[in-house]
Amino acid sequence: MTYIIKKLFQIIPVLFIISFVVFIFVNVSGDPVVLMLPEDASNEEIKAMQESLGLDKPVIVQYGLFLSNVMKGQFGQSFVYKQEALPIVLERLPATFELMIAAIIISILISIPLGVLSAIKRNTFIDLFISGTSVLGKAMPNFWLGLMLMLVFSVYLQILPVSSRGSLLHLVLPAITTGTAMAAELTRMLRSQMLDVLHQDYMRTARSKGLSHFSVVYKHGLRNSLLPVITLIALNISTLVGGALVTEVVFAWPGIGQLVISAVHARDMAVVQACIFVIAIFVIGANFLADILYRVVDPRIKYR
Amino acid sequence: MKKTLMFMVVLCGLLILSLVACSNAEEANVDQEKTNTEEEGKEVSESEQDQERILTIAIPNDIYSFDIHDHNQIDTEAVHINIFSYLLTRQTDMEVEPDLLESYEPVDDVTWAMSLKEGITFHNGDPLTAEDVKFTLERVANDDTLQEHGRLKVIKEVKILNDYEFEIITDGAQPTLMNLLSRIGSGILPKNYIEENGWDHFLSNPIGTGPFKFVEWRRDDRIILEPYENYFEGRVQGIDQVVFRVIPEVSTRINELLTGGVDIVTDLTPDDMQRINAQEGVSAVSAPSQRVGFLGLHHGEEHPTSDPKVREAIELAIDNEAITKQILLGEATPTRTRITPGNFGAHPRLYNTYLYDPNRAKQLLEEAGYGDGLELTLTLADNHYLKANEINEVIASMLAQVGIDVNIQFVDWSRFLELRNAGDYGQMYFAVYGNSIFDSSIGLQEFASNVGWDRASYRNEEVTELWEQALNNMNFDEREEQYQRIQEIVAEERPKIYLYHQNEVYGVSDDVIFTPRTDSMLVIKDMRMQ
Repeated sequence: MTYIIKKLFQIIPVLFIISFVVFIFVNVSGDPVVLMLPEDASNEEIKAMQESLGLDKPVIVQYGLFLSNVMKGQFGQSFVYKQEALPIVLERLPATFELMIAAIIISILISIPLGVLSAIKRNTFIDLFISGTSVLGKAMPNFWLGLMLMLVFSVYLQILPVSSRGSLLHLVLPAITTGTAMAAELTRMLRSQMLDVLHQDYMRTARSKGLSHFSVVYKHGLRNSLLPVITLIALNISTLVGGALVTEVVFAWPGIGQLVISAVHARDMAVVQACIFVIAIFVIGANFLADILYRVVDPRIKYR
Repeated sequence: MKKTLMFMVVLCGLLILSLVACSNAEEANVDQEKTNTEEEGKEVSESEQDQERILTIAIPNDIYSFDIHDHNQIDTEAVHINIFSYLLTRQTDMEVEPDLLESYEPVDDVTWAMSLKEGITFHNGDPLTAEDVKFTLERVANDDTLQEHGRLKVIKEVKILNDYEFEIITDGAQPTLMNLLSRIGSGILPKNYIEENGWDHFLSNPIGTGPFKFVEWRRDDRIILEPYENYFEGRVQGIDQVVFRVIPEVSTRINELLTGGVDIVTDLTPDDMQRINAQEGVSAVSAPSQRVGFLGLHHGEEHPTSDPKVREAIELAIDNEAITKQILLGEATPTRTRITPGNFGAHPRLYNTYLYDPNRAKQLLEEAGYGDGLELTLTLADNHYLKANEINEVIASMLAQVGIDVNIQFVDWSRFLELRNAGDYGQMYFAVYGNSIFDSSIGLQEFASNVGWDRASYRNEEVTELWEQALNNMNFDEREEQYQRIQEIVAEERPKIYLYHQNEVYGVSDDVIFTPRTDSMLVIKDMRMQ
């Protein structure tokens, strides 16, 4: 329990640092007012608008104001949407959440059989093929993969919808696109874990007891190789969020990814901050959950 | 260790369950979704098609909000125009005609008497009256925090005479008032509805007097509209629902069109036309837009471009037609002015023409003392405008052929705007400007105001004088001459070298009759589904 409380308190400074870094970077990178006004707005018009939005104050003062608002639970008004920023972000959360869960499931479904097969058939053509494919899977950019999948399955074969969110069918291509890189990583991780485990004494014992091949590999081998998979999934949540940014744009998926990209382009500070805040909580939460799960799965692990 | 496997299985199960729950909730929540999904799929049965005729349009960006006064986005107005009616409106041929107005006439230079058509109602049934007009126009004219304030602050007062008659009093004579009342920011808002329910309620449940009423807005996903039964010109026939789908990626928009997921796709590039035309059932169409690409040149003494010979050499070195034909594949017209046909004050002699004479350019550079070569910096916003990176690389190589070595500086869009506004772009910058007012006043303003000085150290007293005279000149013939004279001076002195007038490219399903408009508006009531 003390461990959990300690962990929760660690989140606060992390959020503080993230918010500061994001605030400074977004501020330095451009002025929202020049983007809001027409292309040929005069410098006087720009200045007037900056003053009316409070953007003429020094960055550090703006940050102070922002922080005091956050303490009150407000991220401020979105310049673009003219509404409180946080509800706009929370509205998108289910879509991104749905995409990420689907991506995790797909990567688990792909990686477990491939990882095990690759380890059992070590140094054979099958192993080489699987290893090669996983390098490719990790190396392929999401953007390209998404468009290729769309061309094959939606445009030529016409068995899946092209884009948008709706039924489970709409989810298939974005989930594969987002999950492929993680599947590749999990496959390689499982392979090396399985190779370690396969040489353990208890595996030999199991085999010598006359257990079936399936039983030896899946009951004794896989079970002992799964622990690092949980860590890897948790660690990969942040990569998944990054991947989802791209996937959401390609598949017109109305999640946080699309929002954060359009907000950064518009320098819509309140929305950017609220997005980063929500994503940070999400990633920290996932890592935190992994810590706890680790302990549930392997009681030998103790936290102090 | 058995726990581990059990745990993984349970975890997977839970994840799948939550996923299904997510999707189910989504489906249960929104009945509309089902219809849309069916529409997107290929197999929609005949009877269903008879029941619901859904027109789906793919747009690259979501609308900003339903506050018509606080954005300057063409994409946003293209959607708004279906919900909110204007006092006057541009027809397909870009002629301004009365929309909500029955009649309008000038009383004197600063007063316009107008009367509304009777019997027009908002989507909630409230009648449209002069009170709504006063509320709408005075809001934007008085509130300087609104983005459209700068344009519409010329309105001093709206004086109500009775329920349907009113006068608009302007700050000085305003020859462009009719242009301003037929564009962004002039859709008439429901005074009572907003005052009773508040702005926030209006922004999430907007109503207007337009042909379509608002049904739903899912941000970054879709906007759904339905025909308004009591629209004053009669309910729009043959369309039961309109869906604007937000699809940022251009390839995805095209794929949706090719598979029948959407009926109209906006913001395509000329390169996409071939792929679309190669497929049966869809075609690519284009129309001149209001956008003109140009090079801005710095006239500051510290820059070689302060020498008129250097500026002329730059213009002579660029083969505009190579750009419009080879890079924009014919979807552009060479121009030497920003005021293109259809805009008040357009100069016919400066349109569909260009100067190209590389030998003369070399000679001019030599005369200017740059016979041994000249190095210039050209700044542009990376990948911001249609094919701008390619166009600028070609310009650089054209300039290299006459001995000008160009360093292209690609920067982020907002950084570009900052550099441009501060005049820190080096000697040249590239941009593409539009003109939503269809009048020279906006397009030529920069040469007559501080903008030209702040950004390019350019000033010409004659231009300033002509522009100021034209701004409030109610003698339209004289006004046109004044604007044409300014364009001649600009073409001569080259604070900017105009390059091309760009077309807008759309993809359209053969099931829809759609004529693209120069103002880029998506006016659904003018479209037909077959």
